[in-house]
Parts: sequence; structure tokens; C-alpha cells
Amino acid sequence: MDWSLFLPGATGWGDELAAGLWLTLRLGLASVLIGTGLGLLAALGELSRSRILSHGLAAYNVVMRSVPELLVILLLYYGLAFLIMALLRPFGIDSFIEVSPFWAGTLALSLIHAAYASEVFRGAFQAIPKGQVEAGLAFGMSRFLVFRRIKWPVAFRLSLGALANLLMTTFKNTPLVSAIGLQDLIRAAGDAGQNTKLYFQFFIASLIIYLAIAALMQIFQMRAETSLYAHLRRGPSA
Amino acid sequence: MILDWETFLTFVPLLVQGAVTTIELTVLVTIFGFLIALPVALARNSESRAARAFARSFIFFFRGAPILAVLFLLYYGLPQIPGIKDSFLWHLIARPMPIAVLALSLNSAGFLAEIFALALRNVAVGDIEAARAFGFSRVQTFLRFALPGAARLCMRPYGNELVFVLKGTAAVNFITITDLIGAANQIYFNTFDPITPLLVAGAIYLVFALLIVTTVRYMERKLSPWLFLKAALKEAKA
Repeated sequence: MDWSLFLPGATGWGDELAAGLWLTLRLGLASVLIGTGLGLLAALGELSRSRILSHGLAAYNVVMRSVPELLVILLLYYGLAFLIMALLRPFGIDSFIEVSPFWAGTLALSLIHAAYASEVFRGAFQAIPKGQVEAGLAFGMSRFLVFRRIKWPVAFRLSLGALANLLMTTFKNTPLVSAIGLQDLIRAAGDAGQNTKLYFQFFIASLIIYLAIAALMQIFQMRAETSLYAHLRRGPSA
Repeated sequence: MILDWETFLTFVPLLVQGAVTTIELTVLVTIFGFLIALPVALARNSESRAARAFARSFIFFFRGAPILAVLFLLYYGLPQIPGIKDSFLWHLIARPMPIAVLALSLNSAGFLAEIFALALRNVAVGDIEAARAFGFSRVQTFLRFALPGAARLCMRPYGNELVFVLKGTAAVNFITITDLIGAANQIYFNTFDPITPLLVAGAIYLVFALLIVTTVRYMERKLSPWLFLKAALKEAKA
């Protein structure tokens, strides 16, 4: 096999693959961060006393978890532009508007991530022993302080494992954005394969990179769990 | 530019065709995914080190790799293997549909194997010991006690995985198969309205997902009725 194919430069595809990987990483990371934040807000909304809010958010979760990711990506990419144009038309602005595929993709993956993350957070908040929260309130803590010092640390620890799995799921959804023209890792590998007729080599290379990302995340998850659960570990302590 | 319903109705046959393809894929992947996952799950729990190592790498590989990467590798990469085009097997699978079923089944099997293995490990040891003590052979014990016991335990995660199978079928759009999303896309190209067809397709996916979830719930109720005794009693009283 000719390894120079993977080098950067005019004849190799290393730089194209690296650019694709960079896009995949940015897209995945942005989606996970925004999605986790939205998921936390959605979980708090679901647990709020407002029935409309909690039922609406529950319905949102069901829909987002049942519809293919590709459909959400396409709908947001085409639909957002349509929506903005339709909203601007009454004001006499009739120009053609294009939504950035990167942000449409990020928004789509974030919204999907949020639906799963909110279920995780909701479960975690519900699993917090009531006595801990009541004790905090009895000590005169404000609701916000109870949230910051008691609810959030406990809930975060409880949801960490599931959140790490979601992180992996969202990274595995990133290749779907090549449908809206983004040059991510899988698209770069496909282009390289098409030009060299060496699809097998380039797709194997991209697979290895995706698996390496997955392995790194698993190691990170294990590390984080051992440090966050230090007080639950058995055995002699130093 | 939102589609009027009269024009939309002319595209209903196309949508139906797409929906049939999606159902076909979901059913085939459910069957083949199960058939691949069961032996891997047994290997995962086996006493042989080599079998366990194989199962672990199988699960890591197909859980960590994005569906598209596996699909592209098989679709574009397989024909490159020397000699494969002369083999009998090639004529059997060298079309988009069998390749898609193979790739999606392998992906699903990665998740299913872990679910099955965990459920089999958690079947009550006493049940198995009792069966053996009563003189059931190992095969009989497995078929009559371990398998039904595990089925009870894994119904919930199995149902979730089936919804993922349904959503995962959307990936076939990348290898020229027209499923529900593909049909919606074709309507878009013909009418310049992306929103209506995609929303209708999304609603159909939602119905399919709810059907899967309801069926699995029903089976769960059939397999372990005692878990639902309390709810049934409450219902009877009311």
C-alpha cells in the first residue's frame, strides 16, 4: 500500500482528511455543548410545575427521539431558510437567503442531543434523595443555592455515564451532515476514494479515526467516573 | 411556496413506496441483527478467552463506528477486494439493498449483543441451577430457562434499539436507495417545497416508532405480567 496517499500536499490526501476531521470535531463538540445545555434547561422545564411546559417538552422529546437524524438535519437546513424568507417577505425583503450548513447541522444535532440529554437529567434530578434538598432549604439556603450546591452536583454525578454515551452517539451522527454539503471526515475520505479509486483504504482510515475518538471518550469517561465517584470506592484509602 | 394539498396528493404513491422501503429495511435489519447478535452475545459470556475477546472487539467496533462509515466501506470498498467479483457471494449481495441490510444489521448487532449478553448474565442463578438439578440438559436449560428469562430482562432496551434501527435506515439515502426521506426529497425537487414533504415523512416515522414502542410494551406485559399486576388492579378498581 502506498502510504504517501495519507501525507499532506498536492498528491496526498492528508490535509483534506485533517480538514475534514477538524470540521467533524468542531461540529460534534459544538453540538454536544449546546445540546447538553439545552437538555439541562429542558429537564428543569419538564420538572417545573407548569403542566403546559412539561407536557410540551415531553412531546418534543418523543418526536425528536423517533425521527431520523437525517430528516431533522434536512428540515432545519431547508426549513430555516424558508422560514426566514417567509418572515421577511411582508417587510418587502424578497432576497434569497441561505443558512450556513455548519450552523444548521450544529443546531439539528444539538436539538437531537438535547432531547436525549433532558431525559437523562430529568431521571437524575428525580433520583436525588428528597431529604438532601429539604435539609438545604431548612438551613435557610435559597432555591438557587440548593440547586448549585446540592441538586446539580448530585445530578451531574448520576448522569455522567449516560451523558458520555450521548457524547459518542452525537459524534457518530456527525457524518450525516455531509448530506447538506459539509466537508467532514467521511466526505473527505469519500472524495479521496473517488479520485484515487482506493475507497477501501480511505474508508478504513476514517473508520480507524472514528474508533480512536470513541476509544478516547471511553477512557475519558472511565477517568472522570473514578475521580467523581472517589468517595464511593471501596478499599483502603491513603 | 408551501404546497397545496391537491398537488401533494399526486405524490402520495411516491411516499407510500418510500414508506414500504423503510418498513422493509427495518424488518430485515431487525431479523438479521438478532441473528448476528445472539451468537456474539453467547461468545461475550463464554468461558473461552478467545471468544470473549472476539465478541468484545465486535461490539466495540460496531458500537463505535458511525453507520455511514460502515455502509460506505462495504458499498464502495468491498468491490476493491481482489477476486471478490468472481465469487458466488458477490452476485448475492452486489446491490445497494443487501449491502444496506448487511451494514445496518452489523451496526445493530453491536448494540444488541451487549444488551443480550447483559440480560443473559442477569438471569437468576437459582433458576439455572434448579433446571440443571431437575436433569434438564444444557441446551434445554438454555432454551427453556435462560433465554425466556433474558427476554424478560431485555425487553425495554431492545425496544429502544428497534427505534434506533428504524432511524438508522435513513442512512440508505447515501447509497441511492429511495426510502421515506428519499421520497420526501424527490417531492421537494419537483415542487420546490421542502417543508411539507419532510414534515409528512417525519409524522410517518413518528407513527412507526410509536408502533414499535407499543408492540414492545405489549410483549413485555405478556412476558412478565406480574410486573404490571399493581397497575391492572388499580385499573380494575377504578
